[in-house]
Amino acid sequence: MMHSSRLTRRSVIKGGLGLALATTALTTLGLPLPARAAGKKVIIGAFADGGLTPFKEKIIPLAKEKGFDIEFLEDEYGVTLEKWFADAQSGAGQYDLYLLDDPWVPQFGAANVLEDLGAGGIDATDKDWIGSMIDMGYWPPQQGPRVKGFENAKPTLICVPFVGDLQTLTYRNDVFTGGAPKTWDEVIAKGKEGVAAGKIKYPVVFRGVTGNPIVTSWYPIFLSFGGSFFDDKWNPIFNSAQGKASADFFVGTMKQNTASGVVEFDSDQEGAAILGGDAGAIIQYSGNALKADDPAQTKVAGKLDFGVVPKQEKAIAQMGIFIAGVPKSAPNKANSIEFLKWYVSAETQAKLSEAGSIPVKRSAFGIAKPGNRLIPVALQQLDAGALPRPRTPDWAKVEELLGIELNKALQAGSGGGAALDTAAKQVKDYLTTAGYY
Amino acid sequence: MQAGTQARKYRLQGAGLDLALPYLMLAPGLTIVLGVLVYPLWDGLRASAKAYRYGSPVADVGLQNYLRLWSDAQFLNSLWVTVKFVALSVSFEAVLGFALALFCLHEFRGIRLLRTVLIIPMVVTPVVVAIVFRLIYASDAGMLTALSEAMGGGAVQILGNPLNAFIGLVVLDVWEWTPLMFLILLAGLQSLPHEPFEAARVDGAGAWRVFADLTFPMMRPVLAVAIVLRTIDAFGTFDQVFVLTRGGPGEATRLISIYGYDTAFKFQQTGYAAALFVTIGLVVLALAFSAIRLLRRVDAS
Repeated sequence: MMHSSRLTRRSVIKGGLGLALATTALTTLGLPLPARAAGKKVIIGAFADGGLTPFKEKIIPLAKEKGFDIEFLEDEYGVTLEKWFADAQSGAGQYDLYLLDDPWVPQFGAANVLEDLGAGGIDATDKDWIGSMIDMGYWPPQQGPRVKGFENAKPTLICVPFVGDLQTLTYRNDVFTGGAPKTWDEVIAKGKEGVAAGKIKYPVVFRGVTGNPIVTSWYPIFLSFGGSFFDDKWNPIFNSAQGKASADFFVGTMKQNTASGVVEFDSDQEGAAILGGDAGAIIQYSGNALKADDPAQTKVAGKLDFGVVPKQEKAIAQMGIFIAGVPKSAPNKANSIEFLKWYVSAETQAKLSEAGSIPVKRSAFGIAKPGNRLIPVALQQLDAGALPRPRTPDWAKVEELLGIELNKALQAGSGGGAALDTAAKQVKDYLTTAGYY
Repeated sequence: MQAGTQARKYRLQGAGLDLALPYLMLAPGLTIVLGVLVYPLWDGLRASAKAYRYGSPVADVGLQNYLRLWSDAQFLNSLWVTVKFVALSVSFEAVLGFALALFCLHEFRGIRLLRTVLIIPMVVTPVVVAIVFRLIYASDAGMLTALSEAMGGGAVQILGNPLNAFIGLVVLDVWEWTPLMFLILLAGLQSLPHEPFEAARVDGAGAWRVFADLTFPMMRPVLAVAIVLRTIDAFGTFDQVFVLTRGGPGEATRLISIYGYDTAFKFQQTGYAAALFVTIGLVVLALAFSAIRLLRRVDAS
C-alpha cells in the first residue's frame, strides 16, 4: 500500500514552528548550528578606514588558511566608540575583538571591560615591538600622568597594536621638486609657486570639521611648534605661546592657502584633494596614502611622494594606531587571543608589511620588499618623533571642546590663540567637575 | 460528559474567572507597555539622579545633574539652537502645508498624482535625505557649487558657514516634513461640512473672506494638533543633523538631541544625559499642554 503525504497548511505551520524552536534551543544552548562554517570563529569589529585595506585583502585570507573563521564587521568611525563601549559594558558579546583608535584605550581601560592580554600569553616584552606602540596598549599608562583612581594601579596590557598608523606628509613631487618640504613655511611658499604655475589649486589641504577631524589636523602643527597638551597634573597647557602660534598659523596662514570650504572638510574631502591633484601637500594617515600609486584611485599617480612631517621646532607627528582589544564578554575569547598571537608574530607582521600596511614590529619594517613606499617613511617618522594623544579616558570630551573652538576660529580665519584660551578654560572646568584635581 | 464540562465552567466562573478574564486578556499588552515604556522611563529617571564615571554609576547626586544643566553653556546653546530650529521649521511647514492642502483640495486632472508626489519626501528615510542634501550642499563637489561654477560663480558655502548651515538644515526639514502637515491638513479640510461654504458663496463672500471667517477657524483644532505633533517630533530631530553637519560648524547646528547623544554615549556621562533628556521631555510636554490650553481658550472666546 502506497502512503501518500500531502502538504497541508497545518503541516507547514507545525514544521516551521518545530524548526524555529530547534534553532532557538540550539542558539540558547550555545551550540553551533549544523550549517555553520567550521574554524576558530573570531568576530572583529572595525571602523571603516583605508588603513585596514591590506589587512582585509591579504591577511584575512591567510588567517583563514590558518584555521580562523574571521567575521569582519565594519562601521563608520563616528559611531564605533559608543557602539563598542555599550557592547562591552552591557556584556552583550557581539564582538571578539575591537580594532580601536588608540585614544579610546583609556576609556575602555578605566571601565575595566577588556581582557588582560598579558595574562592571555601575549608577550609585551618582545624587543621587536615598536616601543611607543606597545606602550599604548597599557592601562593605566606605564609613563606620564595618571588620572585619579589609577595612580597606584598596576599597568595591564589590555590592547595590542594592530596597524602602526601615524601621520606623515604626502606631497606633490612636481611642486616640491627638492624633496619633502622641511618646514611649514616651505610648504606654504613652494605651494604658492605650484598654484601660480597652475600645477595645483591649493598649497595645502586639511580637515576642518569640528571635533576630532580639526584637532587631528592641528595636532602635528601644534607638536611641530613645540607645544605640550597637559602638564603632569592634568592642567591644560596647550594655550602656551607655542600652542597659540601654531593655532594662529593653522587658522590664519593655512586657511588662506587652502580650499575655501575647508571648514566642512573631513578625511574624504582631504583625500580627494590630494588624490584628485588639487592639493600640494597634506598630513595624513595611511588610508589615502596607500592609494597614491594606483591610477584607478588617483589622477596624479607617480607625482605623490611621502616624507616626515614639516617642522617649525620639531618634526613630530601624531600617532593614531589601530589597536586591538578583546572584550571580557567576547563569545570566542580564546580564539581571539590565539588569533592575536598569530597576527603579531614576526612572520605575519612581515606579511602585513608586504601587503602594504604599516606593521607594529620593527623587523617587519626592514623586509626586502615592503608593499608600499610609505612604510620606510613611517619608520623615519617614528624615529624622528611621533606622539600619541594624552592618555585620559576623557579625551573624547577634551577633543570636542577644543575642536569646537578651533573650528570657530577657522571660520573666522583668525583668533587661533584666543580659541585655545577659551578651550583651555573649558577643559579645566570640565576636568575639575570630573574630579581630576 | 457535556454536563460535567458545563458544571466545571460554572464552578470556575464562581471562583471569579469572569472577573479576572479582562485583566488576564490585558496582561500581555500591559506587560509589554511596562517593559518597553514605563521601565526605561523609570530607569532613566533613576539614572538622572546619579553621577557616572567611566560608564558606571559612582554616586547618588539627587537633583545636581538637573541644576548643573542651567550653568552648562553647551546645553544652553543647544537648547537655543533647537528652539530656533523647531520654531522656524514648524512655522514654515505649517504655512506651506496649509497652502498645499488648500490647493490640492480642488479636483482637477492629475490631482491624485500630485497628492501622491507631494508625500514622497516624508516616506524617504531621514538618513537618505541627509545624504542627498549633503551632496547638494557640499562646497567641493556639491550640486549647488557645480551650478554656481557653471554660471561663472565660485564654491557655494553652506555647511562651512554657521548661518547657512542652520538655514540649510531648516530647508531640509521643511522639505521632508511639510508633506506630513499637508496630509493632516488635507484630511481636515476634506472633512469640513459643505453647508457653511455654500451659504457663504450664496451670500457673495470672496475667497479671502471664506478662508478668514470659515476655513481657518474651523481648521484651527486640526492645525493645532498638527503643529503640536510636529513640534514634539522636531524636538527629537537627530538623524539628519548627525549625517549632514554633526552639529557644526562650531555649534551652529548642534541640536539638543546631538548634545545629549554625545554626552551619553561618547562622553559616557549617562546620568547627566538622562537629566538632560528628562528636562527636554518636560519642556516639550509643557509646550504641548500650553498650546492645547491656548487653543481651548481661543475657541472659548
